[in-house]
Amino acid sequence: MREMLEHTPGRIYLLVLLLSIVLMAVAVFMGATDAPAEGEAILVFGWMTMPLVIGVLFVIVWLIAYLIYFIKYWPYR
Amino acid sequence: MVDLIVLGAFSLVIVAMAAYGYRISAKTAEDYMLGGRTIGLVVMFFFVLFAISSSWTFYGFPGHLYLHGPGYVFFIWGSVAGFAFLYMFLGPRLWALAKINRFLSPVEALAERYQSKALRVILAVTMLAFIIPYVGVQPLGVGRGFEALTGMPLWVGATYTAVLLVILVILGGMRIVAWVNIFLGTVYVTALLGSLFWVIAVVFPDGGVVEAAQQILASEPAKLSTPGPQGTYTSVLVIGTFVVGLLAFSWPHVVIGAMTARDKTLFKWFPLLIFVFGGLFFYIIPFVWGSIVAPAALPGVTDPAEADRIVQTVIQTFLPRWFGVFVLMGVIAAAVSTAAVQLMTSSIIVARDVIQGVFKPDASDQDITLWARLSVIAIVVLSLSVTVIVSLGLGDEAMALYLTDVSVPGFAQWAPALIGGLLWKRGTRQGAIAGTLAGVIWLVLGLLVTNEAGARILLLDLHPVILTLPLNAIVYVVVSLLTERPSDEIEDVFFTEVDDFLRSER
Repeated sequence: MREMLEHTPGRIYLLVLLLSIVLMAVAVFMGATDAPAEGEAILVFGWMTMPLVIGVLFVIVWLIAYLIYFIKYWPYR
Repeated sequence: MVDLIVLGAFSLVIVAMAAYGYRISAKTAEDYMLGGRTIGLVVMFFFVLFAISSSWTFYGFPGHLYLHGPGYVFFIWGSVAGFAFLYMFLGPRLWALAKINRFLSPVEALAERYQSKALRVILAVTMLAFIIPYVGVQPLGVGRGFEALTGMPLWVGATYTAVLLVILVILGGMRIVAWVNIFLGTVYVTALLGSLFWVIAVVFPDGGVVEAAQQILASEPAKLSTPGPQGTYTSVLVIGTFVVGLLAFSWPHVVIGAMTARDKTLFKWFPLLIFVFGGLFFYIIPFVWGSIVAPAALPGVTDPAEADRIVQTVIQTFLPRWFGVFVLMGVIAAAVSTAAVQLMTSSIIVARDVIQGVFKPDASDQDITLWARLSVIAIVVLSLSVTVIVSLGLGDEAMALYLTDVSVPGFAQWAPALIGGLLWKRGTRQGAIAGTLAGVIWLVLGLLVTNEAGARILLLDLHPVILTLPLNAIVYVVVSLLTERPSDEIEDVFFTEVDDFLRSER
């Protein structure tokens, strides 16, 4: 992590990871994983509950950020 | 009878692999404890994934989802990020440091970083205290599986697992534990995924998993969203569960895996496997089991212990009996793969950090290898006390919260010293000792002291990590800043040399 903080791509990478956590927390606190008031639980594709959907999106964001940074910019590559 | 023959053959494969490992091993402490630091990417992935995917992924995790809805899955999202954190941020430095200085345990690396034998003892005792009961949960899980499938008493399955573990770890050492995890992991994934597909095909032949979800939506819709049917998973708890998952980077049996790596390129590619195979595939299987398929197939279970067994109960209810044996084999695989790595880690800490680090500094390579092997037997015997306690009705057997409520907070108490030791030049011996002691003492007292209603009053009835870890971290930072900075020599060995090594072509 020390090596990441020493250059701009590394700092951007860490910021993206941190932001994804913050956004996920915001989504949870705004009720994205709850059933809508007066409504049914949201099921994506008919079966994926929102805690699963949000988690999958979170992992995909980390995956994309990791691929870009570690393949192009990681100082120890 | 056929069940026992199949299980016997399964154990013979493991024993044969252990014996082969013993034959090819170099008979050195480094070879026994860290596989000679030769573990490559694929083996490391199976090694780590199935070191962390214990019988909890078959019992505790789906059982908790079944009772409380999908909010608990945030522990998985946190864990995926936590494991990636370890291998992206801490792993390369720990690996390089251990390789350059021939450290055999992460506790040893930190003790040398902080120049403190006292810290070595504190960390070793803390890690052992929280890891050994978790080792004990694994034979218990298998014992429950045996009991449900064959009607044999709990102790039979637990003892079977314990014997298998002793043989595997004593003979095979870390390299074969890693290799055996490939075999065990393949069996486990096949059993878990195969049974899921088969049950869906049998119970929901028309609409599959969509039909199952719609069935729950009609009967118990609260099981498809937070806070769940009992109102447990509020937004605060969901995020708290995620944070507890993040602490996976501090699990000692996962941290030690980073020290066995063959080279630094492993750290470049390992997170890819964590995200794709772990986060987007493997952990979704028990999630679908526990939050959709099991509640739709067998609704109405409310007892936590019964919920822990819900996947097995569904399999035994809807699939042929012979498949139950295969699934039990999968459970044994999950339990053994985790417990073996935990046992290896514990035995290394006992031999290298307690016996050689404190009592016998001049112990030879052969001596500490022998001590590590002997301690395996002692730890297995100790860990079986978990089964005894449950058999006598003296303990709670619901597994899900043991991991998240006891083990993880315990493992987390070395996180500030670990992160600071590897990444922060200003971290001092006094800070590491004071922080760790403050966190551990508060945690232990907090877990033990309860009021009449069972609330942990010293922890304000919050999750054990919420107060103890910040206290630990704050004390570590403040005391470090108030005490003399580490010497230039420490900075050279633990930072400059490590950076140079990692930037070199080696």
